[in-house]
Amino acid sequence: MAALLQLAGVNVQFAGLQALSNVDLSARGGEIKALIGPNGAGKTTLFNAISGYVPIAAGSISLNGSAIHGLAPHAIAARGVRRTFQNGGLFPELTGLENVLAGLHARIDASFAGILFGTRASRAAERDAVARARRLLDGLGVSHLADVQVNTMSGGQQRTIEIVRAVAAEPPLLLLDEPAVGLAPPVRAQLVELIRRLAGETGIAVLLIEHAIDLVMAAADVIAVFNGGAKIAEGPPAAIRTDPAVLEAYLGHA
Amino acid sequence: MNGQTPQHALAHRALGTRVFYAAPLLALVIPLFANPYTQFIVNLTLVYVLVTVGFNLVLGNLGQLAFANTALFGIGAYTAAILMAHAGWPFWAAIPPAGAAGAAAGFLASVTALRGIRNYYLAIVTLAFGELLRWSYIHGEALSGGTDGLTVRHADFFGIALESETARFYVFLLIVTVIVKAVSNLMRSKIGRAIVAIRDNELATASLAIPTGRYIVLAFTLSGFVVGIAGSLFAVLIGQVIPESFGLIELILHFAMVLVGGLGSLFGSVLGALALTALPEFFRPFPGLYEMFFGGLLIVFLLIQPRGLSALCAKRWPALRDRYYRER
Repeated sequence: MAALLQLAGVNVQFAGLQALSNVDLSARGGEIKALIGPNGAGKTTLFNAISGYVPIAAGSISLNGSAIHGLAPHAIAARGVRRTFQNGGLFPELTGLENVLAGLHARIDASFAGILFGTRASRAAERDAVARARRLLDGLGVSHLADVQVNTMSGGQQRTIEIVRAVAAEPPLLLLDEPAVGLAPPVRAQLVELIRRLAGETGIAVLLIEHAIDLVMAAADVIAVFNGGAKIAEGPPAAIRTDPAVLEAYLGHA
Repeated sequence: MNGQTPQHALAHRALGTRVFYAAPLLALVIPLFANPYTQFIVNLTLVYVLVTVGFNLVLGNLGQLAFANTALFGIGAYTAAILMAHAGWPFWAAIPPAGAAGAAAGFLASVTALRGIRNYYLAIVTLAFGELLRWSYIHGEALSGGTDGLTVRHADFFGIALESETARFYVFLLIVTVIVKAVSNLMRSKIGRAIVAIRDNELATASLAIPTGRYIVLAFTLSGFVVGIAGSLFAVLIGQVIPESFGLIELILHFAMVLVGGLGSLFGSVLGALALTALPEFFRPFPGLYEMFFGGLLIVFLLIQPRGLSALCAKRWPALRDRYYRER
């Protein structure tokens, strides 16, 4: 099966710093690939490059065989890429429900004029979206957060809402940037289960940046290890655990 | 703490809808009790409801510090006045062009914001735009009548002569109700959510396949349209359009209405206009006191209730909280 996402020779430069050098990476539907590595290894920069937030200096990024690098973030998102943000990407003054609805934006088939005049069709489209958003919140056990404003939620609740929002439109590719930070252990277990279910049932491809190594080992099919802006190893969890280059990067000796 | 069950929420929403429709219906009886002067103040309040609703779209919902509101107001007023005084158009025909002219100016302002001019820079650029327009009203005498301005007479609304305050009231009430309802429809949809999402987190908004640039332009243009129409009502109500009506003091009044009513709240916009339009009238017998009271009021709200009257009301009656979706 051809890869959904394909990065070839991707370079990203910030003033005098080579943030990513010559990175090749792919993602397949149904596969969970974890990106690990020390802080500053370039993992989030890789997400920013894929989703269009930083330009690439060389290489190519393609989704379903067509190049997406150089497109605006919203255009890349429209092709089926969703991401979460390390520092929280929610809309703090909106409720949980309204946040998830924003994730369904492109799926709500209502014209400007239809909305302006409150036509039957536009109201039905909106009603369907609200029902879907409520089902999604319910499915992840957070229906009680639907009418709660985000800036009054706990960190863990916010993470959950952000993930619901990211998966709401059933994106073929999901980029999760440290989703487990600040989550209580039982919630983390639920998160692993959720990610596995998403990949297994809906067949979406997941790229997962995570520092919690237990979570990575439990969730990932494949692990890619980054250091200093380069990918230094890639393979199944069992192989990565004993890879000399990985041990060198993490422990300072082979 | 975590709020209401869906049933509760639905009941609340029904109440909110009732409040929306009850207010204009109750207003219908005002002319029975009002003398021409108080009726004039009520009419002026209706004009300021539109002014505040339009301003709040950009300032509160989109969260951009654009201060072109008096410019938009003036453009609407002058467009209507020029068409009526020079070209002899009836009032009803002059309303859409006034809205369109305001929308065009709003669109222009959005281009500066799109090009990365934001925050204080946007505030300065848009303030300068307003002053430039005022200068052009003063010096474009052939069209604008210069400092003397233009006189608007014989406003005709589809055959109804708006000669009395009462006649103006019913026409204004109709126009304002229709526009506020339309803006409410927009805000409680994917469009309103996108605009507020941009305010809260522009980068994250784009990550949801929402074309942020397009919605920034839309919010500015819509704001210009609403405020432009307010300008045309103002021209007919006052009967005289002069450059002095669209200066900095006027802008501070608009800003105060948004702030006192509640940033980003449609309900707040209405409250702000209701609270502040009549205020100068109470102080008319005491020159100088108004400015002091007004300045003090702004400071008190900024310090104690920065989210305005609407936030106070929403705390007491959750049904009145602004919602950015509709379930029925």
